[in-house]
Amino acid sequence: MMRQRVLTWTRNSIMELVLILLCLILAFQAEGFFSMANLLNVLRNISMQGIIAFGMTMVIISGEIDLSVGSAVAFAGCLTAYLTQFLSNLGLPLVTALPLAMLASLSLGFAIGALTGLIRVRFGVPTFIITLAWMTVLTGSAELITGGFPLTVFPEWYNFFGGGYVLGIPFPAIVFVLVFVLTQILMDYTSFGRSVYAVGGNIEAARLSGINVVRIKILVMAAVACLAALAGIMQSAQIMSGAATTARGWELDVIASVIIGGTSLMGGEGKIRGTLIGVIFLGILVNGMTLLNISEYWQHVVRGVLILSAVLINRINTASR
Amino acid sequence: MYKLEAIHIHKKYPGTIALDDVSLGFEGGKVHALIGKNGAGKSTLVKILAGSLAPTRGEIRVDGIPVPLRSPSDAFNRGIATVYQELSLVPGLSVAENILLGRMPKRRGPFIDWVAAYAQAEQTLVGMQVQLEVRQPVGGLSFAQQQMVEIAKAMSCNPSVLMLDEPTSALSRHETQSLFYLVRQLANTGVAIIYISHRLQELREIADRATVLRDGLHVGTVEMAETTSQEIIHLMFGETVQRERPTDLLAGREPLLEVRDLSREDHFQEIDLTLHEGEILGIAGMLGSGRTELLRAIFGAEPFDRGQIRVLGQRVRSVSPATMKELGVAFTPEDRKNDGLVQSHSIRSNLCLASMNQIATRGFITRAREQVVVNEQVRRLSIKIADSEQAVSSLSGGNQQKVVVGNWLSTRPRIILFDEPTRGIDVQAKQQIFQVMWDLSREGLGCIFVSSEVEELLQVCHRILIMQHGKIVDEVLPSATTPEGLIVQCMED
Repeated sequence: MMRQRVLTWTRNSIMELVLILLCLILAFQAEGFFSMANLLNVLRNISMQGIIAFGMTMVIISGEIDLSVGSAVAFAGCLTAYLTQFLSNLGLPLVTALPLAMLASLSLGFAIGALTGLIRVRFGVPTFIITLAWMTVLTGSAELITGGFPLTVFPEWYNFFGGGYVLGIPFPAIVFVLVFVLTQILMDYTSFGRSVYAVGGNIEAARLSGINVVRIKILVMAAVACLAALAGIMQSAQIMSGAATTARGWELDVIASVIIGGTSLMGGEGKIRGTLIGVIFLGILVNGMTLLNISEYWQHVVRGVLILSAVLINRINTASR
Repeated sequence: MYKLEAIHIHKKYPGTIALDDVSLGFEGGKVHALIGKNGAGKSTLVKILAGSLAPTRGEIRVDGIPVPLRSPSDAFNRGIATVYQELSLVPGLSVAENILLGRMPKRRGPFIDWVAAYAQAEQTLVGMQVQLEVRQPVGGLSFAQQQMVEIAKAMSCNPSVLMLDEPTSALSRHETQSLFYLVRQLANTGVAIIYISHRLQELREIADRATVLRDGLHVGTVEMAETTSQEIIHLMFGETVQRERPTDLLAGREPLLEVRDLSREDHFQEIDLTLHEGEILGIAGMLGSGRTELLRAIFGAEPFDRGQIRVLGQRVRSVSPATMKELGVAFTPEDRKNDGLVQSHSIRSNLCLASMNQIATRGFITRAREQVVVNEQVRRLSIKIADSEQAVSSLSGGNQQKVVVGNWLSTRPRIILFDEPTRGIDVQAKQQIFQVMWDLSREGLGCIFVSSEVEELLQVCHRILIMQHGKIVDEVLPSATTPEGLIVQCMED
């Protein structure tokens, strides 16, 4: 009985245990890992991708995927810069132009995501393909509006959104925690969240239970795209420019964090809390490898092996249940 | 000498006995019908003979020699070929490739010898006297032609036994005739044909001999030429005990649900029905009579072409599961495993699936509020569970069905549509489901009950509509008919 309990507990918290183990190894092996400055640095680095990862968790639980989040980050940054320039050229002061541009980017992100969801349910095109298409459309659009060069139009105070601190904590980290809490509540304590699980678990049963599955899919796709736009704005604030080359390949890290966190690619199962662990795990691993002076080429290999092992652990766990 | 024999076959599942000491023999050159109502054990026996299911006890003999059938390919290699209701063809490949799937003739190395392949496929079809162009893709063929290809695929290995599972369920009258011709041809070449069907008239035309299974028992084998339909029905259904319906169930006058002139091409035509307050309305009909499609269309789960639906006197403009739920209509689907439940989720979340918005306050749900609903339904339906956090997939069929019903009861509906709620569940759970329907009737709810079990309809319903080929052909009162009478009415053409 006791043994059974310990076994189940271990199985359910396997990623937490591995994370603690990783931290212990790094604490002894990597100099400077456990310094406040380094940990805050890790926190800032994981925040942007983490925000998107929470949205991606919802998408994957609903049985879909979004490959366009990386390019959406770049596009949102460029669009914000472009619109700021455009509006201030019209004579608007930056104090008004910049928030308007940010709002426009967020709205467009939401709209693009909603359109993805609509195409998904109306025409039955897999989101894998739709968002693959968006990936190149958005990258291309970012390059078009910037002309290939970073747009540096932002005023000094804008940097706060990416590089600022509140009570010593990086601003993106605060947004990261906020998005975590909100999505956690949304998925666990609202009928919307519960419907997302039901739709991902068995779309036909959900439909026949009178759940509006069309609405659910559209909103979920819109949410992740909107969060990607939010991350894009903060990223552009951190680097103080809108550049088409930012966030290239982020979709891989974001999806990897979600999978490391135990969310099933089959849909219907997963936890926002798991993704939190996944995001931290990946962030610390990358940081640790950098501190240990492991080459970036090796880092790529390790990341890939990690994704594969996480999926295998999940499959084995599900099978043995 | 039997080509294929089943000797003292037992098959036990947790909680039920699917086959109980069944012994049978199949001779070459004859068409053997295997019949029985739903749950009689037909499909279990077919699966065992086809090697896809292992019996708990007993042995299979081929040409008198005991053989272990460990897999479908084992059975196939012993000369036992099976054509299932769901065809297993690759639509994009040609007729010839499908017939020779996995066994394409090769010339040196990996290269396919197309000339030989087409010739071989052609030869098989000619042997069956079927005319089909072997180079065309299977996807473009009619269902009947695809079935011919499937049979050709089975026949290309010269099997000594051919099993056909409900082969005519999707065929037109004309297509059925050409299938019968083919079956006769094959029987004449000495193949033992095992023909599974529930269409009694058909068996008169095609079968030499019929074996009847009932509740997992082999209750009799009769020569078709020497028997009457009455006798077969008696064997299939046994002594039907008609249980009494409680006497205090009264249907009111107020119509809850009115369906007018509802039609859907190829499925059902000009359906008119009215469900009253407190009424339990049965719909009887054979498989494929359109009863399930009708029920699903009323709930908005499937489309219809024309007609109208009124709930509580109000015409429903856009019929969808979501709007019907709003209007107080509930629906328990026939395929509860795939359509009614999210198998990997807990009993708790499955019991709160449909009523989610009612449980939530301003969109927020708490465990405590869910637990109230869960406890109420678990008690009301006496669902046997250790813990409501268990996955629903761990429950028996009867308890799963109760979860489906409970899921809908928590929406506090006015009308419930039950599609085959008793399929594959034990006797006690069945009686509990009936008890629920009667209780609902006392509370003034209206129920539509679709079932292929006529005794159940007679026991539970106030009134029964009979469907044949997509039309309501008659209406009977349980007091005015017998189970046999009702079966005959459902089957008559």
